[in-house]
Amino acid sequence: MTTFEKIANILKDYINCDLDDIKPETTFESLKIDSLDMVEIIMNLEEEFSVTVEDVSEIKTVGQLVEIIEENRK
Amino acid sequence: MIETRVCKAFGLQYPIFQGGMAWVSDAALASAVSKAGGLGIISAMNADADYLRGQIRACKAEVGELPFGVNIMLMSPHADEVAQVVIDEGVPVVTTGAGLPSRYLPAWNAAGIKAVPVVPSVAIARKVEQQGAAAVIAEGGESGGHVGDLTTIVLVPQVADAVDIPVLAAGGIADGRGVAAAFMLGAEGVQCGTRFLTAVECTVHPNYKKKILAAGDISTITTGKRLGHPVRVLKNQFARSFAALEYDSSVSNEEIERFGAGALRKAAVEGDEKNGSFMAGQIAAMIHDEKTCREIITDLFAQADEVLAGAAKWVR
Ligand SMILES: Cc1cc2nc3c(=O)[nH]c(=O)nc-3n(C[C@H](O)[C@H](O)[C@H](O)COP(=O)(O)O)c2cc1C
Repeated sequence: MTTFEKIANILKDYINCDLDDIKPETTFESLKIDSLDMVEIIMNLEEEFSVTVEDVSEIKTVGQLVEIIEENRK
Repeated sequence: MIETRVCKAFGLQYPIFQGGMAWVSDAALASAVSKAGGLGIISAMNADADYLRGQIRACKAEVGELPFGVNIMLMSPHADEVAQVVIDEGVPVVTTGAGLPSRYLPAWNAAGIKAVPVVPSVAIARKVEQQGAAAVIAEGGESGGHVGDLTTIVLVPQVADAVDIPVLAAGGIADGRGVAAAFMLGAEGVQCGTRFLTAVECTVHPNYKKKILAAGDISTITTGKRLGHPVRVLKNQFARSFAALEYDSSVSNEEIERFGAGALRKAAVEGDEKNGSFMAGQIAAMIHDEKTCREIITDLFAQADEVLAGAAKWVR
C-alpha cells in the first residue's frame, strides 16, 4: 500500500466515509474534519508512521498531509 | 499548604493562574495576583505590540522579581508581533488560547519562556507537550469566554493521564471545593477567570462586576457555535439576540459576526448592560463578593486544604 492509500484508509475509518470520497486534492474542510479531529488524526498517524508533524495548522488537503508524512519519514 | 510541581516550575506560593481575559486582565489585575502568590496574566487580546509592551512594563514595575505571564490569543491579527514582544521583554510565562501555538514554541523555548497552552482535547495536549510546553491548562466548557465542548470533570483526568507535564484545571473553579476537586482529578494547579472578575483590583466596569455578583445557575449561555467559536456569556439582550440570529437561517454568518463585533469592549469598558457581551463562566453563580486578589487566593486554598484534609471521612 502507498502512504496515500494507508492514510485514506485511516481517514475512511475515522469519519466513516467511502474510500472514493478521499482524493489527494480533497480538503479536510470538505470532509467536515475540524481542527480538534485534525490534531487527533495527526497524533495517530505520528504513531503509525513514527514521524512528528511540526505545524498541523498548515495542512489543508489529504495530499499535503501525505507529502508531510512522507517527507518526515526520510 | 498545597505544594505541587506547578509551584516549583513557576515559582509560585500557590498553584493558581489568573486566566488571561481580553479587555479585563491588564497590568493592574495581573500584578495584584502575582503579589498575592499566584500567577497574574496580562491579556494581549487583539491589541498591538505597543499596548502589550506598556502593560508588561507596568506589571514589572509593580511585581519586581515575582513571576507573571502574558496570554496570547492565537487568532489575534497581531499574534506574530506580540509573540516577539514577550521574548524582547523577557516575560517568564506565556499562555495561549484559541489554537495550537506550534509556530511560536521553538522561539519561546529558545528564549527560556515557559509556554502553557490552553488545551481543549487530549491530542492537543500531547502535541504541545511534544513541542516543549512547560505545562498545559485543560479548560472545560463551563468556562467564561471561548469554550470547548468537554467539561472540566471529563477533560482534566484524561489530559492528566496523557501527558507527563503538569496539568492545570480551568473552568468552573471559584471556591476551595473546586480546587480540591481539580486536584482529585489529577491537576496540579488551577486557572480561574470568572472569580477574578470581581477582584477589587480588577478594573472592569462596575456594571460587569454587578452582573457577575447577581448571576444564578442558569445565567449563562454559549453563543457563536454556528460561527465555529462558541463563547460563554451572561444572558442579556445582546446574548439573546445573538442566539436568535444564529437560529435564523436567513441571516448570514458575516451579519452575525458584525453584530458581535466589539461587544466585549462595550461590556468591559462601557458597562453597556444591553449591548455588551458579558463573558463569564457558569461558576459566576457562586461568586457573591468583591474581595482582593490576596483574599481570593488565600480563601480558595484555605478551603481546599480543609476539604482535602477531610476527604478521607467516607473511606472505610
Ligand atoms: C471575560 C473573559 C475573557 C477571557 N478572555 C480570554 C482570552 O483572551 N484568552 C484566553 O486564553 N482565555 C480567555 N478567557 C478564559 C480564561 O482565561 C479562563 O481560562 C476561564 O475563565 C476559566 O474558567 P472560569 O471562568 O470558569 O474560571 C476569558 C474568560 C473571561 C471570563
